[in-house]
Amino acid sequence: MPAEPGPPGISCAGLAKRFPAAGGGLEVVAPFTREFAAGATTALVGPSGCGKSTLLRMIAGLETPSAGSVAIGDETPAEVRARAGLAVSFQDPSLLPWRTVRGNVALALTLARRRAAAGTIDRLLALVGLEGFAGTRPGALSGGMRQRAAIARCLVTEPELLLLDEPFGAVDELTRRQLAHDLPRLWEARGTTTLFVTHSVTEAVLIADRVLVLSPRPARVVADIPVTLDRPRPEGVELTVAFAELAERVSAALARGAAEGGQTGLAAQ
Amino acid sequence: MRNGRTHLTRRGALALTGGAAAAGMLGAGARAATPATLQLSWLHSVQFAGSYIAQARGYWAEDGLDVTLAPGGPNAPVEPPVVSGRALVGVSAADYTAAAVAQGAPFRIIGVAMQKNPFAVASLPENPVERPQDLPGKRIGMALANMPVLEALCTLNGVDIDRIEIVPTQYSAAPLLAGEVDCLLCWATDLPVAMAVQGVESVTMLMADHGYALQSQTYIATDESLRTRRAELVGLMRGETRGWAAYRADLDAAVATTLEMHPDANLDPRAQRMQAERQVPLMFSELTEARGFGWFSAATVEETIETLAVLGHDVSPDLWDRSILEEVHAG
Amino acid sequence: MSAAEAAAAPARRALPGAPLAGVAGLLVVWEALARLPGAEVLLAGPMAVALWLGENGALMARALAVTGAEAAAGFALGNLAAVALALCAVAWPRAERLIAALALLVFCLPLVATGPILRVLYGPGPGPQVTLAALAVYYTTFVPLLVGLRAAPAAWFDVVASYGRGRWAEILHVRLFAAAPYLVAGLQIAAPAAFLGAMVGEFTGAERGMGVLTIRALRALDVEATWALATVAALVSIAVYAAIGAAGRRLLREPPPVLLAPPGAGGGARPGAALGQAALAGGVALALWWGAMEAFGLNAFFAKRPGDVWAFLVTDPGAAAHRAELFGALADTLALAVPGYLAGLAAGAALAVALTLAPGAAAVAMPVAVALRAVPIVTTAPLVVLLMGRGAAGTIALVAVMIFFPVFVAALHGLARAPGQVLDVFESYAAGPLRRLVHAQLPAMLPAFFAAARMSLPAAILAVTVVEWLATGRGVGALMAISASLSDYAMLWSAVVVVALATVAGHALVAAAEARVLARYAGEQRR
Repeated sequence: MPAEPGPPGISCAGLAKRFPAAGGGLEVVAPFTREFAAGATTALVGPSGCGKSTLLRMIAGLETPSAGSVAIGDETPAEVRARAGLAVSFQDPSLLPWRTVRGNVALALTLARRRAAAGTIDRLLALVGLEGFAGTRPGALSGGMRQRAAIARCLVTEPELLLLDEPFGAVDELTRRQLAHDLPRLWEARGTTTLFVTHSVTEAVLIADRVLVLSPRPARVVADIPVTLDRPRPEGVELTVAFAELAERVSAALARGAAEGGQTGLAAQ
Repeated sequence: MRNGRTHLTRRGALALTGGAAAAGMLGAGARAATPATLQLSWLHSVQFAGSYIAQARGYWAEDGLDVTLAPGGPNAPVEPPVVSGRALVGVSAADYTAAAVAQGAPFRIIGVAMQKNPFAVASLPENPVERPQDLPGKRIGMALANMPVLEALCTLNGVDIDRIEIVPTQYSAAPLLAGEVDCLLCWATDLPVAMAVQGVESVTMLMADHGYALQSQTYIATDESLRTRRAELVGLMRGETRGWAAYRADLDAAVATTLEMHPDANLDPRAQRMQAERQVPLMFSELTEARGFGWFSAATVEETIETLAVLGHDVSPDLWDRSILEEVHAG
Repeated sequence: MSAAEAAAAPARRALPGAPLAGVAGLLVVWEALARLPGAEVLLAGPMAVALWLGENGALMARALAVTGAEAAAGFALGNLAAVALALCAVAWPRAERLIAALALLVFCLPLVATGPILRVLYGPGPGPQVTLAALAVYYTTFVPLLVGLRAAPAAWFDVVASYGRGRWAEILHVRLFAAAPYLVAGLQIAAPAAFLGAMVGEFTGAERGMGVLTIRALRALDVEATWALATVAALVSIAVYAAIGAAGRRLLREPPPVLLAPPGAGGGARPGAALGQAALAGGVALALWWGAMEAFGLNAFFAKRPGDVWAFLVTDPGAAAHRAELFGALADTLALAVPGYLAGLAAGAALAVALTLAPGAAAVAMPVAVALRAVPIVTTAPLVVLLMGRGAAGTIALVAVMIFFPVFVAALHGLARAPGQVLDVFESYAAGPLRRLVHAQLPAMLPAFFAAARMSLPAAILAVTVVEWLATGRGVGALMAISASLSDYAMLWSAVVVVALATVAGHALVAAAEARVLARYAGEQRR
């Protein structure tokens, strides 16, 4: 993929992961080759334990692939990380218990060696519904609140590439809808390239421009579904026929993947 | 090497601005006095009162010396500081010096403070040890380090050491008072005094009265110091001589000086007075009356060599060097 | 750290007067013991001690100022060194085994040998006291700190890595904070050790201080002074222990989860690689030994080089006799050190378990446990030996007392580490406290217990040699003291080497046992 000015696209070529184990090892991700357009939002949907988190971690360069490579624009993931061009939200919020919510968000700035304009952190905390909790330590927050703080931490450095691993897993239904509505506006406005892992079909269709459906372990692409809904999503889009059709396609692909992949999964064991 | 050492010292002093560095600082204030350290063999007490008098009355200062009196302790052997040159003179004993020389230390004995050895067997009056022949059948408490001393005493007096039950104890009178042992191998000037102060009467058999002729509290210096630092050695020993003469002349003043100079030592005035008195007959003899403090003659050296031989140390009279004392007592 | 207090906390709520009752009980027992017939030459009761302190308050205050300053300086320097060593080990993982091995070797050096050398190096002044205090504390801080610097979930390091930052950012933003509770635990264990180190340091020829007064009081049969000194030393240690704990609780409002993992866990390395590393550590140690002596220009009369020891033990005509004497003494020593060590481990773990089963007892047991450890061994050694006889029992008891406290503190931590949800599962099946203990809490305790077991092995050797030196006059401790007094420095240094090697070998044995047990019970602890 040719490098463009602005946010980079992602190119995965034969990316695979096999963990060494007795009997030939455990294949977690089957060779994966895909391009992700700059500025687009892609959802990775698949059953639990299928290897989607591993895929995300390899794209972030936190996991060394057994085979294949990742290019972000014309850089390696390590180079992008070195200039703090990406941010990852992990399945576990990974907040440091001795820092306040504000301190945890500010940690990203420190690590990225950046400064933010005054009020940025407060605005972000308000966006994720944590106004009034800036001075609270994570120990006093619910699981969903911690996850939202982790999202705020991801956004504060204004990364070109956003990698979110089940960002709303522990967030309650009402807040989740709100976030699914608000957050994409923010990263779309910035032109951020976003990959997010989820097992919620609705969430995938609501947020993403494109949904990749993965099979059970080892992860393989079962379907690559473009989401042709308006951007930004209008109010009540979940109730439209177009949305329902898309969601149905994703669900069907998931079921298909499970039926086929179950055997592969067994064979791998 | 020398730089490294000063550096370490300075860092030690910086780590704590304790009073221990004070001695050096006072010295710096005085006019161009030559520093010299006298390494004592034990903690400060009236055992070294002559040195304190020399210090307090400025005997050493008159000779242009700025003397530091370094205390000893249970983990402070005298030989290493002397060998390394950190101390000019050390207070040792003939047997320790002989052992060190056998291990290659270039020491000479340049003076003898204790003409009679202070080792003794202390017991309680109801079950006394008055002569070596009383020892068989008794339980004696002692540090195992002192085995050669007991062996020598037995050899010198024809006593069968196998008939004595040896109980290794720490250096304290407690095992005797607790009835754990019948007698203790100790110095006549310390544990019996400690018991007396606690109101416990004891019987003391001085080993020197039973053939154990071994000079103690001997002053040692290295061959190199004898060659290159003679003036300081003479000055240091002259101060010692004057200090101990003053001690003998007035024990009360000696005890007072000891107490004044060591307010933090928790010294008991009664015990110090008693110890001061008990060490007089050990330190001053007809020989010292005639020739002066610290003196040794060919005869006393020969006696010590014989006892050392019983202890298993083979030494020659070359170990003793009287030239410093001769200079001190000539002037 | 606060696990001990954590165990005590519920009890405190239940029985507000319990700590006071504990202290009062302790005082009554102490006074009663002192009034037993025949005890007057051994033990002074609290009344007599208070009386003595009333009369000699100024003297004691001056001595405390001296020794306290030495201990404080040693405490600071030793712990700083521990922090620096642990940071180096984490920053350069390749160097970790080497650093850990050298740190252990230096900690094993018997003070009978190091004391006189330090005195020659420093001359008069507090140098040796401060150094020995620092040497007494750095290892017991280094070991838990190394554990603590690692005790962070991998996900936290991912956050750092996702911003392209490396090891130093990990250390600065994650590890240092994660290690804070472990540092507090290490500092608490260090408090009494620093005081003891300073007191023993004063044995090398100090002008003044509590160690000097202790020697004098022991010799002068001044039982009141002896116990007054021991009491003050214990009270100071307890106060510092409590103050560090309180400061820890204030500063660490939201402590990270305590994951006690053994550093390196000894696992993974093949025997060949382990041998290579041991050889490297040995080579570096020899080079440092020789190099330091040459650099400081230490006279070969008392500062024997590796070659001298080799000659003494191997090539000399009398080498066989030297070996026979040395190994005979070592065998005597190990015959006491090993049972004492095992008894201390058992006692520490047992007390921690007992307090977990009956938390109400913590308020009474904690002060006693801290006090036992805080009373300086130089005072208790002669007493315990007199009480329990010069046979094995007294020495074994003293060794056990020296090591039971760190094991106890670590075991309490470990027991408290059993995850709440796991305990809830047991609760939901109405399992009794005993089953909960066996199936959940004991396995959770194992990593901490083994870390403490490795850490306290050198302490056991230190204790037994000090007792032999000061009280029983047997074994390698006495051999070293006698060798020093007879200027037999070749024997002394050979003893140092053999004792250090024996300790390292024991350490390796414990580490091997640890690796086997943890592989089964705490697989997640091994990397």
